Amino acid sequence: MSHNPPDNIYLPKLARIAHIKEEVAGERSIKTFRLEFVNGDGFDHQCGQCAMLSIFGRGESMISIASSPLIKEYKQFSIMRVGRVTSAFHDLSVGDTVGIRGPYGNSFPVDDWRGKNLIFIGGGCGLAPIWPVITTAVAQRANFKNITVFYGGRSPRDIMYRAELEKLRSSADVHLSVDKSEEGWNEFCGFVPSNVMDKAPPPDNAIAITCGPPIMIKFVLQNLQNLGFKDEQIYTTIENKMKCGIGKCGRCNVGKDYVCVKGPVYSWAQLKNLPQEY
Amino acid sequence: MSMEKILDKARLNDWIAALAKGGDWEVHAPALEDGVWTYKPVGDAVRMDHPNTKQPPKGFSFPQREVFFSFEQIKGEAPRLTQVMPDPKRRAVFGVRPCDGRGAVRMDRVFADNVNDPYYQARRKNVAYVGLACNTPPAATCFCKSVGGSPVSTDGLDILLTDLGDRYHVAAVTETGKAMMAVAGSPLADAAAADRKQVKQVHGEAVAQPQRAVNNPEAAPAKLKASFNSPLWEELARACIGCGICTFLCPTCHCFDLNDEMTGTVPIKGNRVRTWDNCQFPDFTMHSSGHNPRENTAARLRQRVCHKFQYFHENFGMLQCTGCGRCVSECPVGIDIVAVVNKVAEHVA
Repeated sequence: MSHNPPDNIYLPKLARIAHIKEEVAGERSIKTFRLEFVNGDGFDHQCGQCAMLSIFGRGESMISIASSPLIKEYKQFSIMRVGRVTSAFHDLSVGDTVGIRGPYGNSFPVDDWRGKNLIFIGGGCGLAPIWPVITTAVAQRANFKNITVFYGGRSPRDIMYRAELEKLRSSADVHLSVDKSEEGWNEFCGFVPSNVMDKAPPPDNAIAITCGPPIMIKFVLQNLQNLGFKDEQIYTTIENKMKCGIGKCGRCNVGKDYVCVKGPVYSWAQLKNLPQEY
Repeated sequence: MSMEKILDKARLNDWIAALAKGGDWEVHAPALEDGVWTYKPVGDAVRMDHPNTKQPPKGFSFPQREVFFSFEQIKGEAPRLTQVMPDPKRRAVFGVRPCDGRGAVRMDRVFADNVNDPYYQARRKNVAYVGLACNTPPAATCFCKSVGGSPVSTDGLDILLTDLGDRYHVAAVTETGKAMMAVAGSPLADAAAADRKQVKQVHGEAVAQPQRAVNNPEAAPAKLKASFNSPLWEELARACIGCGICTFLCPTCHCFDLNDEMTGTVPIKGNRVRTWDNCQFPDFTMHSSGHNPRENTAARLRQRVCHKFQYFHENFGMLQCTGCGRCVSECPVGIDIVAVVNKVAEHVA
């Protein structure tokens, strides 16, 4: 069966791997996969939404869609080799066919942010979920004021989207950092939250969007609050283990919210009212 | 006017035979097998003197395991996916207790609201529940009344039977129920005024039977919400061994897992399978990174109790627990959800 009855949400559509790029090498390596729907049988998405990717015989994994919704020809996913399915992804080649269903979850209210300064703060592979917002904002550059991107990795070799970030400098202020400096590194040395404090972006007419390891988000949040950002000005995207994507399998909930439906995007004003179960 | 009939107990099997023949129903009823009450396709003699079945009837719409689709893929080529939809057989389930009927209402909300679950729906639309009112003294673990139910509730049922000694009072709840009562060859007779009077009395006495109770259930959602960071949860969960029997036997627990099971490697062949899963297991929420949002038994007990008495109420306006008492009677270490909710409510301002 090459296409899915519209009512069976569990049956994946098929997508072909058109391109693979190794972002980060090593034990927890990251590769970016460009997927093209087979026979044009696809779906549109919004910034921040996720898709359930399948490797038949290995299972499914929920992954953020890292490409802008403005790009219709393909969807891009940056996947860290960490579990059963993600490791199997790293062993695939261009031309292989995988399953994809979605999109799942809510999205960043990008349209509400017109005329504002946007400050993105990412760490590790947490750049991928906010990358569609960054690239959409840049593609609609006139709609926004200053665009600032903070991003950091453990070492220079852990910086993903290296070439894209360099290209981004023409339309945004890009502040990179590494936890431990090495020879040849000319930018900030230290954790991402410290880099934010160092550059101290003003909160006026601004929205801050952050994604990264939980410990980074915790200190980014504290620092943003110290800089005068209000809870409504801070957005993040959270991940929990998921199996269904439609609020039924029961494992991704944070309090009453199934993250796959009500999340993954939350303002801090919303998130602070939910129990800390993420 | 609702349809009410009377069935001579000696003719129960005739009605079941008529349902099988005239209505194409596969009839299931509780059977005592190795000391365990279990729903089975009916054999020679149907008896419905069960207190309740060990497992709720939720498996009729949400089986323990089911194949969603099979896949076959030659490496480097596109896979062939073949959807496996449930057998459209109509199944009538006799002897469903009112707590489990109310369980079905809650399962329906989860699987049929918003995004439709096609596998659940395909089964559910072909299942009819013929309930049996509880008119003997409740079990020590029953608490349906304090969670909004009743020993004679018709919620989620298609028909409610009431045992009147040598005969059953048979009341239709849904259109499906009416059709089942009117099936060709049905031995059901019209209920007389005396029957109607007797069933009212029996129901009144059933409802008046004392049960243990969740104290002040209306306040439970707010009390639990306020308890989230309470150290009480650690104390309450200390005995928990995480076996998960509480949720596997619950009429409203709906959590599941999805896995690929291989049947061949060249080409890659296998099935995507849904199985019941359990919030009491650490793996349930553990990220691949090793990070676990519910990392200890206290967090997992809190999840089970708050889901039943807080989160579900916040999402659907009803408690998820129906008071069947299975998690209380079957817990190997005696963790008691009624006692837990009451204790939390006592200790939280």
